[in-house]
Amino acid sequence: MYDRRVVRGNTYALQVIPVSTQPSLLEIQRRREARRRALARKRAKEQMLSRTPEPVEGREHVHVQTELYLEEISDRIIEVDIECQTDAFLDRPATPLFIPAKTGKDVATQIEEGELFDFDIEVKPILEVLVGKTIEQALLEVMEEEELAQLWAHQRAYAELRNAELAEAQRLEEQDRRYREEQERRKLQHMQMLQKQKETTEKIAARAFAQRYLTDLIPSVFNNLRESGFFYDPIERDIETEFLPWLMTEVEETLERKVLGRTMLDSLISTVVEKRLDAFSHKPLPDQPEAPVEEPKPTEAAPQEAGETDAADQLVTDQEETDPPVTEKEETDQPVAEEQLSRRTSSQLEERDQAGTEDLEIE
Amino acid sequence: MAHARISENLPPDIDPTKAPIAFGRRALPKLNEELQSPELLTQQRALMALCDLVHDPEKVYQAIEIGFLDNLKNLLLHHDRIVRQKTTQILYIMAMHSVGRQGLIQNGVISALTELLDDPVDICRKNTHQIFEMMARLPEGAVGILCAGLVPFLVLKLKTESEEIQELILDTLSNCLRVEASEALATDAVTILKEKLTHSSVAIRSKAACVLLEISTHPEGKVAVCEEVIPVLVNLLEDTDPEIQASAAGALMFATIRPQGRFSALDAEAIPPLLKLVAEETSKARLSAIKTLTMLAEVPQGRRTLLDHTDTFQQCLNDPSEAVKRAAETAISVIKWKPFSRRDVS
Repeated sequence: MYDRRVVRGNTYALQVIPVSTQPSLLEIQRRREARRRALARKRAKEQMLSRTPEPVEGREHVHVQTELYLEEISDRIIEVDIECQTDAFLDRPATPLFIPAKTGKDVATQIEEGELFDFDIEVKPILEVLVGKTIEQALLEVMEEEELAQLWAHQRAYAELRNAELAEAQRLEEQDRRYREEQERRKLQHMQMLQKQKETTEKIAARAFAQRYLTDLIPSVFNNLRESGFFYDPIERDIETEFLPWLMTEVEETLERKVLGRTMLDSLISTVVEKRLDAFSHKPLPDQPEAPVEEPKPTEAAPQEAGETDAADQLVTDQEETDPPVTEKEETDQPVAEEQLSRRTSSQLEERDQAGTEDLEIE
Repeated sequence: MAHARISENLPPDIDPTKAPIAFGRRALPKLNEELQSPELLTQQRALMALCDLVHDPEKVYQAIEIGFLDNLKNLLLHHDRIVRQKTTQILYIMAMHSVGRQGLIQNGVISALTELLDDPVDICRKNTHQIFEMMARLPEGAVGILCAGLVPFLVLKLKTESEEIQELILDTLSNCLRVEASEALATDAVTILKEKLTHSSVAIRSKAACVLLEISTHPEGKVAVCEEVIPVLVNLLEDTDPEIQASAAGALMFATIRPQGRFSALDAEAIPPLLKLVAEETSKARLSAIKTLTMLAEVPQGRRTLLDHTDTFQQCLNDPSEAVKRAAETAISVIKWKPFSRRDVS
């Protein structure tokens, strides 16, 4: 197919046709001028160039191709249609190792002894640094240890100080405690001493007082006793306590018997009078058998009351006379009791009872 | 040209036993995850790497923030001895930093370490005791150790462990017993310490004397010490090592506060060696010796003996240390005190 862009045929014979664009006016002028100059140059050159001399007689100048391969020069360009198609995709082959062609000159060199550096001189700074660093590190460590040791020493000193202060405080505490205890003990002692003193003074005072009190005691006691009648004549006492009460009781009994007799007589008389009255007013009553029955009772009571007097035994009592025996019994009990009481009290020395009975007896 | 500064870029670390450390802030979280992995080798490598990192206090802080301590507590009970050894080493290095100590206290690591006291491996036990020793220097740490009930165990271990570990235990005990001594006394520490006072090693003797000093600051401790230990302490006053002399003088200082202690010290004839210690200008035990003599001077027999030696105390007044001067003044005033002045009885 024909594509204007693809150049076909012999390229030697083809002339390049410039692309036709609409040139501007300026450009047209410039091109004209350039053409003129080129023409001028060409003419000048042609003149300067040495032309080939005219041919010798019998010869002709002919244009000849001196290329390797002869070419047929013609207007018509031989065109042949050839197709081309790329092959199926193949792997990109490995890039061959690029070994550039050797260029330049081969040169060799060799370092001899002592040319590069002097070991002893060069090694000095390195050694200095090494040794310096090591020593510095060592110094640091030693300083650290010293610092630590100082810290420990400081701590120990502080601990010692603290212990000393603590011990001092405890010692003073202990001292204080001892003094306090001693004080307490002494105070206690003093108190006890005062107490004892007080007791002793009290004892002395009590003793003196008791002595003074008691000196007067015996005479006053005896006085009192004498006044209350402890010291008595026993015979007098005996007469007073025993004889006189007995006498009084006997007298009483006698009197009572007399009174009794009189009473009985009175009652007899009254009964008789009543009976006589009755007898005179009524018919005679059968009261004779009752009289002997009542007789033994009063006759039994009579011997009990008084052993010596017989006058009352003979009297006849009436059945209404049961009361007197009872009252007589009571009266007999009373004197007996009185006698017993006086005997008991006479044996005791108590002032009150004696005074009482004495009063009784004095009365 | 080399610089005088030490470079931040340390030489490459191609230790195959350590896990590779991630960059920057990712290092510790990654190690944390590796620690929890079921494979033994990973755990061991992570622990080795952690051991190096933990020397830096910032890393310690970060580790505690992330919550390493819970994992480490679990690893303390691992069956493999290397894991336990490395874990205890890491905890020890952490305990050397203040941040680490605080973290250990707050996370209750002390009670977790109680199990390791009976570990069959020596190095684990040693690390554990080192941790306790570091913790005991802090007041809260000492309280923590007391609360965890470790003191009876430590006292019992004194009888069985090796010398190195005994020294560590004695240090721990001296710091802990400063706070409270009743538990130790209950486990009869005084008898054990009395034996240690006659040990062949200098360090153990001086540390045992220190522990006795701390015990006798407490009243019940004084009672225990007064009973048996005073003659031994008086012997130690004549020992060659100044440390031992200082500790023994300190222990005597507290033990002679009680009257019984004073009498037993006088019976053991403590005054001549103490006077010698006071006379030496540079002895560490000077202050303690002066104080002990002050205590002894409160007893009449002691005062009588010391009245002849007041010039030694006069010399002490020229000592550069303020405390020694004051102590010497008090000593002189106590020695010259005459009984029965109204001031005392009023």
